[in-house]
Amino acid sequence: MKKLTSPYTWGMVIDLDRCTGCGACVVACQAENNVAVCGKKEIAEGRNMHWLRIERFWVGEYPDVRVRFLPVLCQHCKDAPCEPVCPVYASYHNPDGLNGQVYNRCVGTRYCGNNCPYAVRVFNFYSHEWPPPLDNQLSPDITVRSRGVMEKCTFCVQRIRRAKEEAGGEGRMIRDGEVQPACAQTCPSEALVFGNLADPKSRVARLTRSPRSFKLLEDLGTHPSVTYLKGGGREHV
Amino acid sequence: MSEFSGQTHGDTPAAKSAARLNDEMLSSMAPPTWRWYALAFVLGAVVAWGLYAFSYMVATDMSCTGLNRPVMWGLFIVSFVFWVGLSHSGTMVSAILRLSRAEWRRPILRAAEAMTVFSITVAGLFPIIHLGRNWTFYYLIPYPNQRGLWPNFRSALLWDAVAITTYIIGSTLFLYLGMLPDLAIARDRSSGWRRRVYAVLAMGWRGSAHEWSVYRKASTLMAALIIPVAVSVHSIVAFDFAVTLVPGWHSTIFPPYFVIGAINSGVAAVITLMIVIRKAFRLEEYLTPQHFDNMGKLLLVISLLWSYAYFVEVNITWYAHEPIEWEVFSFMANRYTPILALMILANTVLPISTLCFKRLRRSIGVMLTVSVLINVAMFIERYLIIVPTLSRKNMPFMWGSYFPSWVEISIAVAAFAGFGLLYLLFAKWFPIMAVADVRELKEREAEVRLGRAKLPADVKDEL
Amino acid sequence: METLGIFNDVDTAARAVEELIRAGFAEDRITSLTSVPYPDGVLVKREPRSWFRWVSLAGGIVGAATGFLLSAGTSWVYPVQTGDKPIISPYPTGIITYEFAMLFAIIGAMVGMFLEMGLPPRGGRLYDPSISDGCIGVEVSVASRDEIGRAEEVMKRAGALKTISEGTV
Repeated sequence: MKKLTSPYTWGMVIDLDRCTGCGACVVACQAENNVAVCGKKEIAEGRNMHWLRIERFWVGEYPDVRVRFLPVLCQHCKDAPCEPVCPVYASYHNPDGLNGQVYNRCVGTRYCGNNCPYAVRVFNFYSHEWPPPLDNQLSPDITVRSRGVMEKCTFCVQRIRRAKEEAGGEGRMIRDGEVQPACAQTCPSEALVFGNLADPKSRVARLTRSPRSFKLLEDLGTHPSVTYLKGGGREHV
Repeated sequence: MSEFSGQTHGDTPAAKSAARLNDEMLSSMAPPTWRWYALAFVLGAVVAWGLYAFSYMVATDMSCTGLNRPVMWGLFIVSFVFWVGLSHSGTMVSAILRLSRAEWRRPILRAAEAMTVFSITVAGLFPIIHLGRNWTFYYLIPYPNQRGLWPNFRSALLWDAVAITTYIIGSTLFLYLGMLPDLAIARDRSSGWRRRVYAVLAMGWRGSAHEWSVYRKASTLMAALIIPVAVSVHSIVAFDFAVTLVPGWHSTIFPPYFVIGAINSGVAAVITLMIVIRKAFRLEEYLTPQHFDNMGKLLLVISLLWSYAYFVEVNITWYAHEPIEWEVFSFMANRYTPILALMILANTVLPISTLCFKRLRRSIGVMLTVSVLINVAMFIERYLIIVPTLSRKNMPFMWGSYFPSWVEISIAVAAFAGFGLLYLLFAKWFPIMAVADVRELKEREAEVRLGRAKLPADVKDEL
Repeated sequence: METLGIFNDVDTAARAVEELIRAGFAEDRITSLTSVPYPDGVLVKREPRSWFRWVSLAGGIVGAATGFLLSAGTSWVYPVQTGDKPIISPYPTGIITYEFAMLFAIIGAMVGMFLEMGLPPRGGRLYDPSISDGCIGVEVSVASRDEIGRAEEVMKRAGALKTISEGTV
């Protein structure tokens, strides 16, 4: 038995004080990852395919009403509840700390979806189609998922793979900020920051140590790789 | 068949010849009547409809179900748990009664053991029906392949697969073992191709002293082996829920609670089936009120145990008032008030209030009502464990609800019809009464004079 | 070489067994054929010990080894990390080991039982369908043809309905 190790531990910081709830990340994710386009009907049925969603909460009573946004994507937990329950290893932990999902292994038990406390796993209830010319926008780097399989945010693993290849060719590590998932790249207010948590000097590692940091459903002990920032004297907003 | 309704003649089974007993107990194997065909046709039609619904789901996609995010498990898994639960009666009750030498078990044995085999078979289909890609279910089987696939033994679903396979094989062998001497009797009483089939199944059984001596020991050993398997099977089904992080499922009482629930629905189903078989095959003098009285006592005990477990589960959640868990429970109580009330009525109030009374336990009508209602309640119980819990998980933004679609309802109903059909065929082709077991008891019953009374003296089984 | 006498009830059959023993046939060469089990000694006595349980135990041990190797062994050979659980996780390994042990023990019990019973038999053996309807068969295995005649005589005297030395299951 050989345990695989990696110099990278990918993680993300989401600064809620910066998030404006614009939804650019959701669209970027959709475009990057061949996420199926869902209409009103599917969303009303609870079968939309967004890998990343922005939860919107109304806080307070009229006239003092505020809106709060919470972008939620796969938290890439270190102790992920979704992984050990999969009977066919479709959901597994890769050495980079990513919570991998192998689509063509998946048989569709949906057990992982039940056991994910963040409810970020989406299931292909429909056979989604991309009628021409929409199929031209499909990314060749990523599988188009068939019906009956589970899918979820991968931290744009295809970009990480490419950056690793480039860096490996040049015989160096990936530089901080060299690789970004589509959501972080798109965020106009730079609320999303992605990077290597194993490098204590990376931007994401420094932000993770912020006194404003917290993790989603921290008490469950899932040890997410995504850290949220909130507070910093702006709690009233 | 009417000349066999011995009760009217007033002669007791003990006074009858062995051939007469064989005739009566094997009367169910007589050539089928038009009613049998009609019933088989109706059940077959329902099964065909269910198959159509399933094929439709496979051919299109899973959007024809009511499932969604967050309720990713629905009626299929409810049915799965229900049928696994139902399968716990037979073999387990029969094994426990065998080991505790309860002589009244004998006429019930076969019906109960057959029920186990068919309900676990039906149950085993549901996880496969439920899969998003049913056609790849063999990915769960550990065999070397060129796909680089191997199942994950850390997943509770794989424990399920292993446990259910064990239970299907174990309970089928247990049924077969119990049937071996009866198959020999069936062989000797039939002719033509049926005789050849029974001859193969009876394995050349003659009933020699040596065969019987080994057979008796083997029955005891099998009974002892099958009980822990039965307990483990429903515990593992409970692990599917209990090992998760889902509030409302993650509960340490689940495995024993599920086992109790399983025995509850199983014992109730055995009683229902006893009533049906008794009526259909006119076996009134073999399945007497005494049997219903005893089974009623058993059901009362299980019912009390179930109520206790349910009380513990709810009481502790209520007292701790952990917010998400409590949300699950209050959602269940608010949204599903009518069926929750029906569940408590049928699973606790009704059985406990009726089964305490001997007169009611001996009334077939009361027993039928109580036993059928218990299974309705147990179906509801599984629904209430699965659906409301998933509707209210940790992230309030992703709360949802679920209602089964026509596809799911059709398949769930077809499962009942399929079970009925299997049972119907079994009762026609195989001895539905444990003939040798019943006759053994008759042989051993003698009356001895003690003082002024004549008392029955029977030789106990040796284990 | 065997002969089989068919008796109407246990009492006559038991008497026949006694007569046979008195006539010099060893008890271990006499067996009874019945459609319901009788306590040992009602007709003939049998060796109370049996060995098929060992087959069941062997099955259980083989099953436990199979289960352990399947769950722990294969995970160890091809480790896939899932959710911070150890590659060889004790509880799952225990569950799989247990289930396989029970499965193989059950199969072992059945196989052992049939082996010890000697079923299914290689050749045909004496039998009569009336045994199923409550008659009792007493079978004597003998060395020579004239012993058959002697045994048949003893059984007829004791009240056998008929004796047969042909006709199989």
